[in-house]
Amino acid sequence: MKDWRYRRELAVAALLGCILLGLAIWAPAFYQAQPLLSLATREAPSLIVTCGMVIVILTRQIDISVGSMFSVCGVVCGLLAASGWPVWSLLPAGVVIGGAMGAVNGVFIAGLGLPSIVVTLAMLVALRQGLNLFRQGEFVTLPDGVQWFGMSQVHGQIVVLCATGVLVALLAYGLQRISLGRHFYAVGSDAEASRLAGLKPRRVTFLAFVFLGALTGIAAMVNVVQSPQVQPLSGYGMELKVIAAVVVGGVAISGGRGYLWGAAVGLLLLACISPALVYLHMEAYWEKAFQGAIILVAVLAEGLRARSARRHRTDFS
Amino acid sequence: MKFSAGSAWRRILFRHEMLLLVVLIVEWLLFLHFGTMTNRRGVTVGFGTLDRQFDILRHSCEIGLLALALTPIILTAGIDLSVASLLGLCAIVFGQLTHDVGLPLSLAIPLTLLAGGLGGAVNAGLIAGLRLPPLIVTLGTYSLFRGLAEAMTGGAVTYTQFPSGFLALGQGRWLGVPAQAWIFVGVAVGMWMLVHRSVAGRFIRVIGFAPEGAQYAGVRVGKCLTFVYVLAGLVSAAAALVYTARLGQAKADAAVGYELYAITAVVLGGTSIFGGKGSVTGTLLGVAVIAVLKNGLATLPVVIRMNSAEELSGLLTGGLLLFALVIGMLPKLLSAVCIRR
Amino acid sequence: MTPLLVFQRISKSFGAVRALRGVDFELRPGEVHALLGENGAGKSTLIKVATGAHTPDGGTLMVDGEVHDGLTPALAHDLGIACIYQQPALFPDLTVMENLALRLEKPASFARVRWTDRRKRAMELLAKVGAEILPDSTVNELSMPEQQLVEIAGAVGAEARIVIMDEPTASLTRREQERLYGIVRALKSEGIGIIYISHRLEEIFALADRVTVLRDGSSAGTFDVCDINEGELIRLMVGREVTHLYPPPLGSPGEVRLKVDHLCCHASGVEAVSFEVRAGEILGMAGLVGAGRTELARILFGITPADAGTISMDGRIVTVRSPSEAIDEGIAYVPEDRRRHGVVLDMSVAENVTLAAHRRYFPGGWLRDRIEAGAARDAVERLAIKTAGIDAPVSSLSGGNQQKVSLSRWLATEPKLLILDEPTQGVDVGAKSEIHALIRRFAEAGMAVILISSDLPEILGMSDRIAVMGGGKLIGILPSGSAAADVMAVALGQSGTPGKDIA
Repeated sequence: MKDWRYRRELAVAALLGCILLGLAIWAPAFYQAQPLLSLATREAPSLIVTCGMVIVILTRQIDISVGSMFSVCGVVCGLLAASGWPVWSLLPAGVVIGGAMGAVNGVFIAGLGLPSIVVTLAMLVALRQGLNLFRQGEFVTLPDGVQWFGMSQVHGQIVVLCATGVLVALLAYGLQRISLGRHFYAVGSDAEASRLAGLKPRRVTFLAFVFLGALTGIAAMVNVVQSPQVQPLSGYGMELKVIAAVVVGGVAISGGRGYLWGAAVGLLLLACISPALVYLHMEAYWEKAFQGAIILVAVLAEGLRARSARRHRTDFS
Repeated sequence: MKFSAGSAWRRILFRHEMLLLVVLIVEWLLFLHFGTMTNRRGVTVGFGTLDRQFDILRHSCEIGLLALALTPIILTAGIDLSVASLLGLCAIVFGQLTHDVGLPLSLAIPLTLLAGGLGGAVNAGLIAGLRLPPLIVTLGTYSLFRGLAEAMTGGAVTYTQFPSGFLALGQGRWLGVPAQAWIFVGVAVGMWMLVHRSVAGRFIRVIGFAPEGAQYAGVRVGKCLTFVYVLAGLVSAAAALVYTARLGQAKADAAVGYELYAITAVVLGGTSIFGGKGSVTGTLLGVAVIAVLKNGLATLPVVIRMNSAEELSGLLTGGLLLFALVIGMLPKLLSAVCIRR
Repeated sequence: MTPLLVFQRISKSFGAVRALRGVDFELRPGEVHALLGENGAGKSTLIKVATGAHTPDGGTLMVDGEVHDGLTPALAHDLGIACIYQQPALFPDLTVMENLALRLEKPASFARVRWTDRRKRAMELLAKVGAEILPDSTVNELSMPEQQLVEIAGAVGAEARIVIMDEPTASLTRREQERLYGIVRALKSEGIGIIYISHRLEEIFALADRVTVLRDGSSAGTFDVCDINEGELIRLMVGREVTHLYPPPLGSPGEVRLKVDHLCCHASGVEAVSFEVRAGEILGMAGLVGAGRTELARILFGITPADAGTISMDGRIVTVRSPSEAIDEGIAYVPEDRRRHGVVLDMSVAENVTLAAHRRYFPGGWLRDRIEAGAARDAVERLAIKTAGIDAPVSSLSGGNQQKVSLSRWLATEPKLLILDEPTQGVDVGAKSEIHALIRRFAEAGMAVILISSDLPEILGMSDRIAVMGGGKLIGILPSGSAAADVMAVALGQSGTPGKDIA
């Protein structure tokens, strides 16, 4: 049994490997250092948000307001930078703003027991339109020294990638090796059992949303430093991409099951489709259709697995 | 005794539709009073005029249709994120059928509806047949349908120049009322009959309340679920036709983001995301509250000056949705406090 | 010596249902205190009060002589109260060692998880309770007894001073039971107080020091085990048995209504079951927990269709692959889990009554309020359902009245065969005899009735014939008027795990 614990994650990784291999054979141009580096850096923010989403989905909740939170964090931090805050202070600022928005979600969901999908839907709409209202779609022009932390592009990209890598590794470690990480699993697996075991499911759920908010803030920072301007719609549609990555990566939507690294591989897989289409001389506008098909295949595989598992159990009443 | 008195009080005062009706009337009166100003083009557009009301109706038809399609689905404790994507796909299918294939309207319209039904059947097969979670399945088809629409048009083609007979569906009037209103009313009445007056509607609610209990009561759960998702596909296709006729063009990005407004309207209308509870009347009121808010704000001088009707109405809609949720929870919270004592 | 745990006049209600009506209870250090009572007597609620899962509505709860008003699961854990639930309260997606660790370690938020230590600890504890389970296996891969052993290992590891065991031997094999008794005695010798819940009287006499009998949510007395005998205990537990009159059986049943021939269903473990039921006859189904009676009913009703064998109704072979097909064939099933399967709690009485017989009431597929109201009023009157009105949600009704609603749903379909699964479980005494009278009336009206029950007096009192199941097989059919001992002998004789009680 133990050897097969990661079968889902490994299957996704294998698929990703196949695509990368295919690219190596038919489109070696894909492996030029600079475009590859840019591609990876561009996906870094989504990767960070994916990690947060893994936590929330593990606790059997969902958050579809991440895209709006991402935009708000980016714009507010951009404004702070424009008003003269030093670059280093933006990261804590982003964490605080994102964490605060996550806390609002958490209060409604964990505190009042409202359904997470509706609460975060309301947040998605309210934050997006609130941002539009106050900014009217204006871009924020950043002062010098913010883009790539004032370094050259390549250096900046390397810093961003390394920081993201370290963060993701820390989170993956924490989810397996820090007790709070395991509490997310426990609450998502069975909230009542976790209450009986003396955990505080509401608090854990609340923390999951705060974590996601804070990570979204960090992700927004990682996005802000990549360009000379902050685009107010930068997070548009991010929620669906991130949730798709989590599902493809084998994290159960019913909570309690899955691994962060699986979701990370899932995101890379989805992110590779678009460049793969371009380099393999297919039309890029098939991207969305492919992404949708991959999500459906992933959920189908999960469903068939659950079904066969059910059949092997003698009593399922 | 105290408990039952409390619940009777609750039933009258917190009846969700009642609350929405009050909100709607207050909204309407406010805009009627403050909203009679000239618009940007210098034309006087009183909020109270019939034209303005018809305009609201015209603009809220597609979201209204999607919300109606979503109501029975959410009553089964399901969800469909793909309705707006399917709307886009159907618009493109219709455009291709009339332009590239050259079919007459009498063939193209039924075929478009068929395409919508097929799209719904994809959801239905995965959700009802294989019992996969609706949220994830429709998240997948949300991408898939939109992606197919983009792929079919190469992301760029826009179909325009539809026959005027078709455009009348979205821009003209039948019997003095916007043409699409008749479709909307027809679908609304049909949905109301289905949800509140038919045995199938009762089954839908039973599935939402207790999926296993439904099976034990002899309800064909799979059949019912298939029905609601295919129906949603058909209604999405109808919405696609209305949308295309209103704008006079079919593009792959038709109605992007409409699913969120439609879901918001349904939930605002008092339908529980956990299934079972809810009504078509509530959904209609939810659509009306959102539509009047959006259009009414556009007539307020302050908002016109700021040019931010869309944003402000979105912000208020989000707030209203949270408010409605908390109000819905209030009786439960209050009674919990009472029992503690 | 201060008692470890004291309950004084503890009461608890769920909506209209009064689960506990002022229970007194006391647990001393180093004693095994048995808690005895029928299903629905309030044992589970009492346990959940002790573990902090339920907050009582009234009464005093003392641990070590100290009054605790707001006992939470976390506090109960800290006070050394551990519970082994009948339905293991484990995390299905997590591994065994993690389940144990979550129970044993302080729930600190930012501690490092030491997987090696966890594994070592888990292996020690599992060895101590004699479970051959890998610490790395996921709980949802384990069988029920294995899950229970994990629970026991958790309680042992927690070094609890108060251990509550809710029917711990119900699904254990003989060998596992013996090992459990050893563990219980070892715990006792360490001065730990054990609340032991069991239906098996023999087990109570072997293990317990004192016994408290619960009946209808209040305590019927606490006794030293040496001062009381089995007969007295049963009388205390059942209470009404002496006075309860079952309706007289009908003289001669009619034609064969249902004939089952070599029915098998691999998935639910039912093997080659053959029997027949006549019109107007009540066939009682007795057997141990897990004997396959509910599984058989689910096959007949089409929820888990049969793999092999035939079902005939009135001499005609029928296929039943779904509940709706079963309804078409005139088969009705009143399920065991009333709240989840029997009724739709959030819907009104009227809606519940017409739910299964919609074809009869609403032939065109459209609802008709007047017909529905008429049918509902008729049912309320006929079955004497106590409700505020036909529009009241079923959740506002008491257990017995909910059960009557569940019954009335099926009567409306005018079934030829009525299968009742534990129809009086969790139903108060008055409603119980009403339901018994109703069942007999249905039989008299010509229905064939299969009555599945774990309440042996009920089976003996109601049945025209008694079928006994065990291990998914039909192991004997006894005539009406058989003694309880005979039924038990058949049920135990071939079950392979002697010592299990019929309840």
